[in-house]
Amino acid sequence: MTHIDPGLTGAQMTLSSEEHRRLAKRYRRRTTLTAYAFLGPNLVAFVVFLLIPVVWLLVSTFRTGGVLGPAEFVGLDNWRDTFSDPLARTSIRNTVLYSAMAIPAVFIIAMILALALHAIPRGGAPIRVALYLPTLQPAVVAAFIFTFVLHPDFGVINYAVRWLGGDPINFLGDTTLALPTIAGIEVWRGTGFWTMMFLAGLTALPGELYHAAELDGAGAIRRFIRLTLPLLRPTFYFAVIFATIVNLQLFDSVFALTDGGPVNSTVSVSLYIYRSLFLFGDIGFGATLSFLLVITVLLLTGLQTYLLRDRK
Amino acid sequence: MTAMHTTEHKKRGAVASKDRARSGLPRSRPAISLSYVILFVGVAIALVPFLYVVSTSFKESTSLFSYPPDWIPSPIFWGNFESLFADHPFAQWTFNTLFVSGAVTALKLWFDSMAGYALAKMEFAGRRGVALLLLLSVAIPISALIIPMFFVVRYLGLLNTYWALILPPLANPLGIFMARSFIVGIPDDLEASARLDGASEFTIYRKIVLPLIRPGLVVLGMFTFMLQYTSFIWPLIAVQDSDRQVLAVGISGLQSAFLQDWGLLSAGMLAAAIPITVVFLLVQRAFVFNDLSGALKE
Repeated sequence: MTHIDPGLTGAQMTLSSEEHRRLAKRYRRRTTLTAYAFLGPNLVAFVVFLLIPVVWLLVSTFRTGGVLGPAEFVGLDNWRDTFSDPLARTSIRNTVLYSAMAIPAVFIIAMILALALHAIPRGGAPIRVALYLPTLQPAVVAAFIFTFVLHPDFGVINYAVRWLGGDPINFLGDTTLALPTIAGIEVWRGTGFWTMMFLAGLTALPGELYHAAELDGAGAIRRFIRLTLPLLRPTFYFAVIFATIVNLQLFDSVFALTDGGPVNSTVSVSLYIYRSLFLFGDIGFGATLSFLLVITVLLLTGLQTYLLRDRK
Repeated sequence: MTAMHTTEHKKRGAVASKDRARSGLPRSRPAISLSYVILFVGVAIALVPFLYVVSTSFKESTSLFSYPPDWIPSPIFWGNFESLFADHPFAQWTFNTLFVSGAVTALKLWFDSMAGYALAKMEFAGRRGVALLLLLSVAIPISALIIPMFFVVRYLGLLNTYWALILPPLANPLGIFMARSFIVGIPDDLEASARLDGASEFTIYRKIVLPLIRPGLVVLGMFTFMLQYTSFIWPLIAVQDSDRQVLAVGISGLQSAFLQDWGLLSAGMLAAAIPITVVFLLVQRAFVFNDLSGALKE
């Protein structure tokens, strides 16, 4: 492959080294300016809608008021309030529990479907579209759809339960069932997305390796564990991180279905942040909880990056 | 640097040019049959819940709670849809959602492909720092920023406007890295020769880079559009005026207003599902759902 470096044209021969250095410097400066021009719109959006809000959050964790009266410096009061607030703890516990249920479930189901889609010789296109339909719906729509499906009186699941002779189950009205039910609804909605993601990963795998593995007499399950899973590491890396970031922000379906109930069993961190601003107007408290969420997600993402890094 | 680009390119090229891995995978007849069974179950679970929505949306509220439920409404009742468009600004919500999602998608594809080009191909002071900063910000949960975002947007005087819905999503940095991963695969020689011919960086971006990464941009665009179409918490906060609201929030308002009108709610959900499904079907052909996962490699 011939590679022509723009710096090595004929003109260079006639330049003195000092002139050459000067021109090179000017060239670098111009490239830097051009690069920042290309990055400009994103950097402005980054500063206004990410950097300023995060700094604002940090400052607000040490202040009170700000909505009606002037803000006052209160030291660590907000932090004390947040850590001693039982509902804040409950909201963190619920959010983590929800993520621990929803993420593994959606990954396993999506992986099985992706493997199946990868195996079939034809008919994949309409199946992909059908599997993807739930993903296209807003979370609130998915939530409302499932109020039908799970309804104690006319939902299809309780219809089956009654037919089998059981008592109808009030999925969203039960303190132990409500959170897993919401996780289940999000799994229903997310399966299409992750199936396509994993399918893309599978499709990009080198087929020759499998031939070799098969000649060596490796069975299907062994091939999957020894070859497919390790080769899909980049896909999993993206999947785990992205799913963690998204799921720890659980809000829409809780807001639409249970509003945190019954008995706070589904209050999520985001819902509590929302309430602290719009229901009881305690900005300092909400900011502290928000800042905690930011730190948690950043740390978790860092930890996952460390655990999933390429060990070569 | 150049060497790294070239190997990346070779890797990507190999993936693109070889037969799909499927052809190399040994498949037995029982495995294929089992796969079809699994997929049938998956499709059934994905689609059956929608039947409730379709069926309920054509029923009058009084006939909703018949037991056992009858799936096919008779007679077909159009009142829910009439009410949706007559008593609620549903057409306006649909327009708002499509307009905002379209604007965000167009702007993000433009800005992200430019930023991705700079990060992939330009040597400049502070490159690593900018990349690291943007990469870190991928992990900032947006719903933790709703309170400060509310005050920033209020300070800018943009509450209750389209701008409030369009501008903040532009700060989501994920697309930059996706665009970067598409652009890294373009051979350096292509741009180098254009640069020798005197082409400016912008010309190279527009004439060489953009056409080459179109398939990737289609995927990124669909992804952005979908994320925007389904966004909920930010529109809920930034817009109070019902006429400016988006579908997801508008529909959730149909339910909590005063009583649960399941027929109306179903009609709303069905009508809201149609535009995004049509958009998806339109781009579906171009939708070689390729790896967005390359985005976070660095």
